[in-house]
Amino acid sequence: MGNNILYIEDNPDNMMLVKRALEARGYKLLQAMNGLKGVAAAESEEVDLILLDINLPDIDGYEVARRIRSSSKYALAYVPIIAVTANALKGDAEKALSAGCDVYMSKPINIRELWARVEAFVPSPQKSS
Amino acid sequence: MQNKLKTPEKTSYLADLQCSGCGSIYSAAEVHTFCPDCQSPLLVNYDLNAARQHVDRNEIHSRLKGMWRWHELLPICETQNMVTLGEGDTALLHLPRVGKSLGLTNLFVKEESSNPTGSFKARGLSAAVSKAKELGIQKVIIPTAGNAGGAMAAYAARANMKAMIYMPKDTPSANIIESRIAGAEVILVDGIISDAAGMAGETARKEGWFDVSTFKEPYRMEGKKIMGYELAEAFNWELPDVIIYPTGGGTGLVGMWKAFEELEQLGWLNNTKRPRMVSVQAEGCAPVVQAFEKKAAFCDFWINAKTIASGLRVPKSFADHLILASLYESNGIAIAVSDASITESQNELAKAEGIFAAPEGAATLAALKELVKKKWIRADERVVMFNTGSGLKYLDNLG
Repeated sequence: MGNNILYIEDNPDNMMLVKRALEARGYKLLQAMNGLKGVAAAESEEVDLILLDINLPDIDGYEVARRIRSSSKYALAYVPIIAVTANALKGDAEKALSAGCDVYMSKPINIRELWARVEAFVPSPQKSS
Repeated sequence: MQNKLKTPEKTSYLADLQCSGCGSIYSAAEVHTFCPDCQSPLLVNYDLNAARQHVDRNEIHSRLKGMWRWHELLPICETQNMVTLGEGDTALLHLPRVGKSLGLTNLFVKEESSNPTGSFKARGLSAAVSKAKELGIQKVIIPTAGNAGGAMAAYAARANMKAMIYMPKDTPSANIIESRIAGAEVILVDGIISDAAGMAGETARKEGWFDVSTFKEPYRMEGKKIMGYELAEAFNWELPDVIIYPTGGGTGLVGMWKAFEELEQLGWLNNTKRPRMVSVQAEGCAPVVQAFEKKAAFCDFWINAKTIASGLRVPKSFADHLILASLYESNGIAIAVSDASITESQNELAKAEGIFAAPEGAATLAALKELVKKKWIRADERVVMFNTGSGLKYLDNLG
């Protein structure tokens, strides 16, 4: 198993925060700034876990999750997807899980929780305190 | 121990803010929300060594009643910034009849309904609005399950600040009315507190309001922690054996745990044995209970949260890891109770002891009954339940 994590997120501040946090644990972060690029990256790259923002500028995170789950790339049916969203609007969590996400997290993303959630699926190559 | 060095009076021994996750230190003289690096709640540090030398617990006892008599351990540096409506120093009532029915000789309730606005939320919002005033903030925003909104509206009015409140549209009408009459702009949300939090956060970012959401600013917990100081004082500077606390956002639970640590460092406790902390949630929204049973460090977001105890309808606290840590460290427990048992306990408290408790407060009695059945509590242990608010604010629920 590799340690490649794809983060689909349009907010550069969140992207930077998560990149720094995950790279500190030895993960490699692949970045996609919108939903369509995210789906394309998931299909073209070796990805071990996907962090998925729900509020994206083109297709929303639910649609991204559905497309990933129905991809012809067999591995994407099983790749763990952690949904993250800033606006915990009514039913967001239910919708995320029914679209194919495995876990739902609301922003702000607590980095220690993120580490724990990611590590539950992909062991950290370089665990630090 | 009470022969203290006399020094010029210091209003507060506030030192700085520290991230509960990564330990980073931030200035308490600046406006902060939560840690920008790891996005964990910030906790308030005090110079407890200096306080230990110069503050006399007996002198505090002799002051005028109220939360602010503990001002050295609260974060406000100038007395004119303390925004008070007379919060704190709520009664600690012995419950002889309910205790007898459960075979307990030392059962108490901390009756928080006597706070301004009828709930324990007054404590936290008094501290938070006071600090906001001290930091020059003029408009405050909050998502709420009800009582925190009412409290914020009242304290913001008292401080001449603008207030905006997002609350679920099915929030008890008392909370909506008390917020609006105090001049707050109230936005009713089709959803629960997590939905309100998303919207309030967005408005705060776009329009420059200061967000006083639970644990997303450091000071509400400081007001709540005083419940722990009051308990220590009431028990002659010892702590009870068990504290049973209804848990939504968890500010009080985490705050009291912080208070016990501070009390120990101050050298004010005659016996440093800590209570076992009990977190009570509703079966229809029990993320802490679920995480506790899995021995997890964080809660999963609770989907489709439903309970008559609106204050317990919190699908995930921003400080879930701190709540869970206090339960683990105290050898405590988390327990979920049904709405039916909450209603039954609400009736029992009123009939047996004359206490018309909020459903959240009644939930603590429902939990206590389960704990007695499990023999988790000994007959002679000192047990304190928290009634966090007045049942009068929930008349809608009683139809």
